[in-house]
Amino acid sequence: MVDLILSLDNLNKHFGGVHAVKDFTFQMERGELAGLIGPNGAGKTTVFNLITGVYSPDSGSIKFKDEEISAKKTYEVISRGVARTFQNLRLFPRSTALENVMTARQQHFKYNFFEAVTHAGRWAGNEKKIRETSLELLERVGLLPVAEQAAGTLPYGHQRRLEMARALALQPELLLLDEPAAGMNPEEVQDLNGLIKDIHEDFNLTTLVIEHHMEVIMEICPRIACMNFGEKIAEGDPDYIQKHHEILKAYLGEEVEEC
Amino acid sequence: MISGYIEGIIILICVNSIAAMGVSLLTGFTGIFTLGHAGYMAIGAYTAAILSVRHDVPWFAAVIAGGILAMVVAYLIGVPTLKLMGDYFAIASIGLGETIRLILENWQSFTRGARGFPGVTNFTTLPVAAAFFLGMLILMRFLINGNYGRAFKACRDDYIAASLLGFKTAHYRVMSLTISGFYCGIAGALLAGFLTYLQPVMFDMNKSTELTAVVVFGGLGSISGSIIGTAVIGLVTEVFRPISQYRMLIYGATMVLIMVVRPEGIMGQYEIGPKLIRAIFSRKTENGVNNAHG
Amino acid sequence: METLLQQVINGFSLGSVYALIAVGYSLVYSILLFSNFAHGGFLVIGGYICYYTLAAVGNNIWIASLLAFLGAGVSAVLVERGAYKPIRERTNVTLYLLIASMGMSIVIENIFVVTVGGRFRALPPVIPMTPVSVFGLATTSAFDILSLVMAMVFLAGLQIFLSTTKWGLAIRAASYDLKTAGLMGVNVNKLISIVFFVAGLLAAVGGIFLSVRYTLYPQLGMITIKAFVAAVIGGLGSLPGAVVGSLILGLAEMLTAGFISSQMRDIVVFGMLVLTLLWRPTGLFGKHISEKV
Repeated sequence: MVDLILSLDNLNKHFGGVHAVKDFTFQMERGELAGLIGPNGAGKTTVFNLITGVYSPDSGSIKFKDEEISAKKTYEVISRGVARTFQNLRLFPRSTALENVMTARQQHFKYNFFEAVTHAGRWAGNEKKIRETSLELLERVGLLPVAEQAAGTLPYGHQRRLEMARALALQPELLLLDEPAAGMNPEEVQDLNGLIKDIHEDFNLTTLVIEHHMEVIMEICPRIACMNFGEKIAEGDPDYIQKHHEILKAYLGEEVEEC
Repeated sequence: MISGYIEGIIILICVNSIAAMGVSLLTGFTGIFTLGHAGYMAIGAYTAAILSVRHDVPWFAAVIAGGILAMVVAYLIGVPTLKLMGDYFAIASIGLGETIRLILENWQSFTRGARGFPGVTNFTTLPVAAAFFLGMLILMRFLINGNYGRAFKACRDDYIAASLLGFKTAHYRVMSLTISGFYCGIAGALLAGFLTYLQPVMFDMNKSTELTAVVVFGGLGSISGSIIGTAVIGLVTEVFRPISQYRMLIYGATMVLIMVVRPEGIMGQYEIGPKLIRAIFSRKTENGVNNAHG
Repeated sequence: METLLQQVINGFSLGSVYALIAVGYSLVYSILLFSNFAHGGFLVIGGYICYYTLAAVGNNIWIASLLAFLGAGVSAVLVERGAYKPIRERTNVTLYLLIASMGMSIVIENIFVVTVGGRFRALPPVIPMTPVSVFGLATTSAFDILSLVMAMVFLAGLQIFLSTTKWGLAIRAASYDLKTAGLMGVNVNKLISIVFFVAGLLAAVGGIFLSVRYTLYPQLGMITIKAFVAAVIGGLGSLPGAVVGSLILGLAEMLTAGFISSQMRDIVVFGMLVLTLLWRPTGLFGKHISEKV
C-alpha cells in the first residue's frame, strides 16, 4: 500500500511573463527523504511556496494527505502538518532562541484569551509544556546553551539549526527544507547531514530538501528530482542523477558541483 | 496629603498611560504604526460623558461602555483596513482619526460640537485612576507574556514567517487593534471624568501623535517604556507650562533627537525587571539586541 | 450651470496647488519609500520667506518668490541631512524616518509660533484677485487661473528636468531601486539632497498660493494632509498619479463645498482616502512592492 503524503500534479505558475513552474509533477510517500536540485531560478523555491500556499498555482493540483490544498491559505496548510525553513532565514531576530521555538510550539498547546489575561485554567500547565518541550528541541539541535540569547546575535550556523528546531516544533508531517546548507563549510555540512538524517528517522518525518550542495543531496537523499527553467528534467536515485550528470551539466553549466 | 495639583498630574499620567498601553500593544508589539488613536479616546470620552450626563448612567458603567464602543469601532475599522501594510495603514489611521473628530465636531445636536460638552461629574479621582491603571496594566502584562504576546510579536517581526508557522496574521492584527481601541476608549472615558469638560479638539492629530510618540520614546516592545514615556511627557508638559509655546517645540525636537540618537527608545524592548538589570551589566547582549534590531 | 462651472474651475485651481505639494511628497516617497510628514513645513517656510521679503523689498513678487523657493529648497536639504540621513544610514526601518518626520513637522511649525507668533497674516495683494469671466459662462478670479497656470508651468518644468537632464535620469532610476542606482555610480546622498531641494521648491510655490488664498499662519502646513490624500489616491510614488489625484481631490472638495456644505469638505476628503485604501490601496498609478519569499 503506497501512502502518498504529497502529490503535485502538473503544477503551473506564471509571474508576469515568466513561466516559473511548468507542468511540475512530483510525489512523495510518507516517511521519504527526497531532494530537489537545479540551478538558481529553476523554480524550486516557487514549488515550496506553492505547497505552503504563499502563491496559488495557475493550474494543477496539490494534494497533501489526500486533501486538495492548492486553494488553501498558508496558515491552513501549516496547521495540516507542513513546515518549512527558508533560504534566507526568517527568524525573529529580537526574540531569544527559546522564544522563537516557543512561538512555533504554542500551536500545539493552545489556550484562550480569557485564560491568557487571567493566567487561569490551562495557562500555567500549557505554558510550562510549551517551555519544556521547546527546551528539549533546542537541546536536540545542540542549541540549549544559547537558549536565552537573541536569535539575531547567533552565529550563522546556529541560526540555521534554530530555524530547523522551530520548524520541528510545529510537529509537522511534511518538512520542507530550503537550502539548509547555504553558507556552510564542509564540516558544518557533515553535521547538517547527520542532523537531517537523525530527524528524519527519529520523527519519521517526510522531508523534501532543496539544495545546491551536492554533498548533502547525494549522501542523504535516496531519491532526487532535478528542475530547470521550471520543469522537472530528471528524477531518480543518486547514481542515476550522477550518470545523468553529463546531460545535467549541459543544461546547468558550471552550477552543479562535481561530486 | 498630596496637593490637588500634584494629584491631578498623577491622575493624568495614569489615564494617559492606559491609552499608551493600548498603542504600545498595537505599535510596539504588533508593529502597526498608528496616527489616529486619539479618535478612540474621543469615542470613549463622549460615550461616557453623554451616558452619564444625559442618561444618568452610573459612571463605572459609562466608562466601560465607552471602552466597549471604542473597541467595536476599532474592530469594524480594523477588518477592512488592516490588510494595508506600513505607511498605508498609518495614513488611513490619520484619515480615520480626523474623520471621527470631524464627526464629533459637526454633530452639534448630539455632542455640542466645538463649543464643548460640559457637566461631567468628576468621577476620576486618584483611587479610581490608580485602580484602572493597575488593573489594565496587569491584564496587558499577562496578555503579552503568553501565546498572544508571542503571536503579536511574530506578526510584527516577520509576518510571512508568522503565517508559515500557522498564525492567521490578519486575525491577530485585528485583535491587537481591537484591544488597543478598548484601552484608548477607557482612557478617554476616564479623561472625561477628570476634565469634566470635553472638546473635539482635545482628540486631534496632536494627541494621536503624542500617543505614538510616547510609545516610541519609551521603546517599541516595552510596556514599562510606554508608561515611563507617558510620565516623562506628562511631567515635561507641566514643567514647561509657563513657557508652553516652547513646549511643543521641545517635544518635537525630542522626537527627532530620539530617532536619530536612540531609535529603540529609553527601554529598548526591555521591561523593568531582572532581565534589564542583567542586560545593563552585560554589554554584549545589549549590543546584540541593537544589531538584531536593524 | 454657472455655479457648477465655477466650482469646477475652483476645484482645478485648488487641485493644481495640491498637485505641487503632492508631487514633491510623492517624489520623496518614490526614492526613499517613506512618507515625509514634514513636507508641510517646507510649504510654510516658503510662505513666510515670501511674506517677509515682500515686506522688506516692497511687494516685488518675483524676488520674494525666488527667495522663498531657494529658502524652502535649502531648508528641505538641511532637514534631510540633519535628521533623516543619520537615521537612514543606520537602519532601513522606515518607521523611524516616519516618526522623525512627524517630530520635524512639529519643530518647523513651532519655530514659527515661537519666533513670529501664530497669528494670521494676510499677504499683500501681489497676486491679482480680479474677477475674470470665462467665456461669459462663469466668473472666476485671476488668482485661480494664475495658480492653475503656475502649477502647470512648474510641473512641466519638473517633467523636463526628469526626462532630459542627467540628474533627472538618476532620479528616475533611483525610484525603481535606490540601492542599484547607487551601485551604478550615482551619488546617492547628493541625489537625495537634490530630490529634497526640488520637493521643497515645489512646496514653496504651493505655499505662496495657499498663503494668499487662506492667509499665512504656522499651521498652514497641516493642509499638506490633503496633499497626502491626493498622493495616495493617485498612487504613492507616482508623479502623474499625484497630479491626477490632486485634481480629483480639489474638484471633490469644491463641489462638496459648493453643493453640500463647507463642513462636509474635510469629511469627504478623508472619506475618499479611506475608500481608496479599502478598494485600491496602491491608488490609480501607484507602485506595488511585493516581497520575495
